[in-house]
Amino acid sequence: MFDWLQGMAIATAIRESALVYPILLSLHLTGMALFGGMILMTDLRLLGIAMTKRSVSDVVGGLRPWKHLGLTMVVICGALLAWSKIALYWPNPYFKLKLILLTLVTIHALVFRNSVYRNPELDRTGIPGSAKFAAVLSLVLWIGLVSAGRWIGYWEPEKEKTTAVQIR
Amino acid sequence: MALFLAYDPATNPLNTNEWAFPVCEVMHIVGFATLIGTITMVDLRLLGVGIKKASAAELLRDTAPWTLFGLALVLISGPLIFSSDPNLYLANPSFRFKITTLVIAIIYNYTIHRKVARSQDPGGFGKLVAIVSMALWASLVFAGIFIAFV
Repeated sequence: MFDWLQGMAIATAIRESALVYPILLSLHLTGMALFGGMILMTDLRLLGIAMTKRSVSDVVGGLRPWKHLGLTMVVICGALLAWSKIALYWPNPYFKLKLILLTLVTIHALVFRNSVYRNPELDRTGIPGSAKFAAVLSLVLWIGLVSAGRWIGYWEPEKEKTTAVQIR
Repeated sequence: MALFLAYDPATNPLNTNEWAFPVCEVMHIVGFATLIGTITMVDLRLLGVGIKKASAAELLRDTAPWTLFGLALVLISGPLIFSSDPNLYLANPSFRFKITTLVIAIIYNYTIHRKVARSQDPGGFGKLVAIVSMALWASLVFAGIFIAFV
């Protein structure tokens, strides 16, 4: 199944090209730079730590399209990278953890969308505890997601470990 | 100098502790996201988009401490990662390019970029300065990734 999936022409081209894979990976991280920094600033604004001279709606609203652009870059490049080596990634527990965290950040965005991120009332009423909780949760989930992404590279399947010992 | 010559990367905790290296990498990613994300907020404003209700000068003032925080994170985690295998990095053309670009980008950010962002009316020149800024920082990300692929 996974061999078939990653055997498709585009996936093979990505995997076997010396340039396409690292370029997609670079774009994945460039998107993260665009998007991650702005998420941090949004969450710190909600916590009353950064950008306090700007209203919540100015910060959240002004950054929204750019965060979406960054997120789109991250997701498209990430999906192409995963697809090209899915047989390698799928057994990796950190890859699965990353997918779970990705699902959780999507749920987070949907749950807090109206009450926090698209709520003009916050400018008048001040920032309630629930919005601060949303901000902390967002930071924890995103840093967890980045960490899971990095740990993917350090996990080895048991079978390969044995092989390495046998070779030695 | 003698100390440096006697340095054996095998004794570095980054190479003996399973967690140390990826923790540094996560710190590096969070750091450059903060650094580049906040600078891009100013760049976007110079281009006439982003948080339009504030001026570039105001956004620069808002974000500057966080840019510095991001820079501190990368400048701590980066040398730690480098220390895991200095010879490998020094011989790597992408690493050399990255360090050169990093020095240029930092100088650019705290001279031309800052001066223009603080000016009364950055105008068309402001847009050029913003594009150069984004290109410099993005090329650093690319150079970082390509270290593993050249």
